Amino acid sequence: MSLAICTEHLTKIYGGKVIAVNDMNLHVPAGSIYGLLGPNGAGKTTTLRLLLGLQQPTAGKAEIFGQTCGVNATAVRGLIGFLPTHPTLPGHLRPVEYLELLGKVCRLPAQVRKPRLTSLLRAVGLLDATDQRIETFSTGMRTRLGIAASLLADPPLLLWDEPTAGLDPAARRFTLDLIRDLGQTRTILVATHILNDIDQICDHVGVMYEGRMIFSGPMREMKRRLQRDEFHLEVDGPAEALPRAVEQVARLPGVLARAGDPHILIVAIAADASRAAALAKILELVDAAGLTLLSIQSAHNDTEHAYLQLLQEDQAHGFRRFEFPKRRGADAGAGDSAV
Amino acid sequence: MPALAILQYELGSLWSGWLVRLWLVAAGLFALLSLAAAWGQLQTAVLIGSLLFPFLVFPWFLIVILLGISPVTGSRLDALADGILCRPITRYEYLVASWAARVLTVLAVFFLVITPCVLLGTFAKRPVAADAVTWYGMLCATALVSLVLTFLVSLGFLAGTLLRRPLVAAVVLIFLWYPINFVLHTFSLEEFSPISLNQALPTLLRTPWREAPGSPDRKLSSEDAEAMARQAAQFLSVLSGAPSQPARRDSGDFFEQGNYEDFSFWRVFLGYSIPTLAAVALATWCFCRRDL
Repeated sequence: MSLAICTEHLTKIYGGKVIAVNDMNLHVPAGSIYGLLGPNGAGKTTTLRLLLGLQQPTAGKAEIFGQTCGVNATAVRGLIGFLPTHPTLPGHLRPVEYLELLGKVCRLPAQVRKPRLTSLLRAVGLLDATDQRIETFSTGMRTRLGIAASLLADPPLLLWDEPTAGLDPAARRFTLDLIRDLGQTRTILVATHILNDIDQICDHVGVMYEGRMIFSGPMREMKRRLQRDEFHLEVDGPAEALPRAVEQVARLPGVLARAGDPHILIVAIAADASRAAALAKILELVDAAGLTLLSIQSAHNDTEHAYLQLLQEDQAHGFRRFEFPKRRGADAGAGDSAV
Repeated sequence: MPALAILQYELGSLWSGWLVRLWLVAAGLFALLSLAAAWGQLQTAVLIGSLLFPFLVFPWFLIVILLGISPVTGSRLDALADGILCRPITRYEYLVASWAARVLTVLAVFFLVITPCVLLGTFAKRPVAADAVTWYGMLCATALVSLVLTFLVSLGFLAGTLLRRPLVAAVVLIFLWYPINFVLHTFSLEEFSPISLNQALPTLLRTPWREAPGSPDRKLSSEDAEAMARQAAQFLSVLSGAPSQPARRDSGDFFEQGNYEDFSFWRVFLGYSIPTLAAVALATWCFCRRDL
């Protein structure tokens, strides 16, 4: 599997005081839509800035398509289309002037630059705003212009930081659809704390917490980590039917049952029991009790639950979160047993 | 191409801003008023010296420093990182282009204001004695003033890069530059002080091509020229809090000679160009090591 982004022990400490990125190993497969998830202050933006060479790592290294990132790595930046959160753009320019400037900075020849910037402005729906100065733009328009700017050089890798922050529902939908479309031809890393966005568009996910990568892998693997042994059955029927159904379901081996609110039956199935078989029996009993099944839901939003579970696990690990480096040579055997 | 694009962008930004436009208008009006006031009183060399005084000493150095401070400070830095430095351009290219844009802007304003006034003062018939101003002298004088302006831009550039906040950088520079004459006097480097430079300009303006410095022809010939120079020095001394210039004696020291015989164009040229290059280099070095 070729990697679009690869970091090894990437660390960033500000002023010897604040640890923003903590010994992070990030591996983003080429061609994936990778969601970099984490609460505010987890180090997502710092990671992106390290990849762009806007900041220098305190330790470790980062590579984009095998090329080392750094302050003077212009070739690496040429491979990246960056969209910052709430992009700060030169307000006195108009969209065409701004994209023209960026096209020149990206060394695009005029015969490529001019048609591309007009088609991008059309694609992001800013064709009607070309005579306005950027300072008059709304947040959504700035984001769309930022998206156009990030795509101007047609880079193989997009780093988008909170692309849906502050957008209205229509603009958010537009952005998510665009990410999905763009993901068919290039690698995209979306840093966000909005779980729903990740859930909709990403096929790989990394979870950052306190500057550290606590999970990285395919989306399915993350969801698999969720203990999905609890289901909510929304039912309708006579008031006395639900307690009767709870009593009968609770008699099933490996199944716990309780009533949630007057129309919810909550069942928990033991890990070693067959969920499909247990659910089939539960549905039979629900039917026999005279209840009408309206819906079945897993206990929580999968991604949200998995994410929160990961954060809780990381906090619970305490000092065990520290990984001793493996010793080399004669000490190797002894080193493996540490913590 | 990226550096050229940044240069064009920075020039456009500067000329679309109110600071440069207002400065151009104010400097033009000030120069015309100075020209009108000195029209029938000062000889050509001294007249040109008085026209250059606001650029060299006060008050336009403030504008020049402010223009130099702005590229990589405050909120501009965010826009810079988000919009430009995340693209395939080096910080070195960006800094040199934005520095060059500021220098070009300052020099453009300077020449736009000074050139018509100097030509008018030199070639128009005025009720004063003829003066031996030479083309070579004019070239040297404008080159020196241009260099001082470039140095001031670079100083602002360095302060803006080091101190990050434009207001702090401006205050620090003003407090550094105001007493500069006193500091240079303390270290016996009066030759490089802007006031001394301004006082020496009439002498330099009369310098013919290929004539050794110190020729009697170059001596300042009019009393009003010395009076004007002394007045300027006194003015700045009061502003900077530096002690007043002592009365001139007939010793051989540069600052105490009324005719500036030992004034060296090349010494002053190097004295300003080397710190200019050092300031730009140091600013670039600092900026390239900074996290954005």
